[in-house]
Amino acid sequence: MNPETLRYSEQHEYAGVEGNTATCGITDYAQGSLGDITFVELPDVGKELKKGEEACAIESAKAASSVYAPVSGKIVAVNEALEDDPAPVNDDPYGDGWIFKIEMADASEAEQLMDAAAYDAIEKE
Amino acid sequence: MTYPMISRLYKTATGSVVSFERSLEIGRAGRYAPYSPKMDTRVQHRHMNTTPLNEWHRQHGGRLVDFAGWELPVQYEGILAEHTHCREACAIFDTSHMGQFLITGPNAAEQLAAAITQDASGLGVGRGTYGFILNDGGGIIDDTILFCLGEAEFLLIVNAGTTAGDLAVLEDRLNNGTNLRYLGDWSKLDVQGPEACEVLSPLVDGDLTALKYFGVTRMKVQDTEAVVARTGYTGELGFEVFLPGKALPDLADAVVADERVKPAGLGARDSLRLEIGYPLYGHELSTEVTPVEAGMEVFLDLQRDFVGVETLRKQAEDPTPRTLVGLLTEQRRRFAEGDTILAADGEEVGQVTSGTFAPSLGVAAGMGYVDREATATGTPVIIRTARAELPATVAERPLYKDGTARSKLT
Repeated sequence: MNPETLRYSEQHEYAGVEGNTATCGITDYAQGSLGDITFVELPDVGKELKKGEEACAIESAKAASSVYAPVSGKIVAVNEALEDDPAPVNDDPYGDGWIFKIEMADASEAEQLMDAAAYDAIEKE
Repeated sequence: MTYPMISRLYKTATGSVVSFERSLEIGRAGRYAPYSPKMDTRVQHRHMNTTPLNEWHRQHGGRLVDFAGWELPVQYEGILAEHTHCREACAIFDTSHMGQFLITGPNAAEQLAAAITQDASGLGVGRGTYGFILNDGGGIIDDTILFCLGEAEFLLIVNAGTTAGDLAVLEDRLNNGTNLRYLGDWSKLDVQGPEACEVLSPLVDGDLTALKYFGVTRMKVQDTEAVVARTGYTGELGFEVFLPGKALPDLADAVVADERVKPAGLGARDSLRLEIGYPLYGHELSTEVTPVEAGMEVFLDLQRDFVGVETLRKQAEDPTPRTLVGLLTEQRRRFAEGDTILAADGEEVGQVTSGTFAPSLGVAAGMGYVDREATATGTPVIIRTARAELPATVAERPLYKDGTARSKLT
């Protein structure tokens, strides 16, 4: 259920690495725990973040949560479609529900994130 | 018409002594099985009251949380879907946590009329009315609905978290042959939505279409003696069914067997009430505010004498500096209780009491207390949240105007 092509953080973000860019969002487990997403606060393009720093926030019908940068780098794109309709974060977290793209400062950070098998294991704890 | 269950309950009461079946502390306390996903923010309590539907909620996928010491579902499939289903079809809510008091006796009407804001003497059999239990200074101890079941028989519905305090206050104010009983064995199911009448009708032996808004009557629900009122907390057409707790699971099963019905949790209940602008005790209402400040004059008869009325009369003549208003934004980011309300020039004019994403409006909405100069509908304000300053306007309640609650039944 968690794609093997992605990497996962302990804070339940994922990173899909293509070249030097990581496409990031929240995991299926995270969206399920938060419930219906009602608002996504997108980060500013150009913002520099260190791994683990808060990138933005999301609100659900019953909770609000921070989204942390799973890798260090610069925000180069955000999913503006979520401003009017955040439902893809619930319905398709690994596809149309992506939130931001980071140009990685250090590609080795992505390697240190969990693979799908390791993430599946902590999710079941 | 006789009503064996309630008759049996108050026949066991003696004289002016107030009694109730068991301690509120113990209440309907039951087994507690924790649900604790890592991202959940629930508080764990050692002694959690449970309703007769506790197992039923688990079986139907309810995510159980602590609400005023009661273990209740915040949602089943999802808050937005449940909210929308209630507006468009029919949803049921387990509201058995709410306190039910039966007040009987030849002087019950007169004594109640002096004890709370509702005019029990003028209510009329088969009618209900919204009002308040006030302290001497007019502060709101609780908001309640009073139903008149018979000339000498009243049902008072109160909030869960305030039930024990209400009981103490009412014990103090009612006397001389009036019996006050906490119906700890009774439960409540709210059946709400435009389809509610058609859904519930096959399960009852009375004519629901004869029940007007805030009407109440006794009828059999699945062969159990019950009380059915045309009331609710959603703004939609709906009924509240009061019945012995042991009959509740069968009723819930029968209602959801109708494919038009979905169970809904506290999350949807909150967003539904907020869109209508109904206050929630502990948020909009508390002992720190009066019903006049809360904009509830329409529910008050200040000609009558009841505990707290003097303050209300003064406030009605000399308006208080603040009052409760609806708040509407044009975007999705929500604001929350405690956020500051600023005038357009940046001056602080009030504070938010409730806020949420309003699913039927598609924007964030809520309520708050503001200074009198900022209460006109359409007044632009800014709501300062922890992360943003949101442009908003003061809006007339109900914020959502297409509710079916008052629709005519044929």
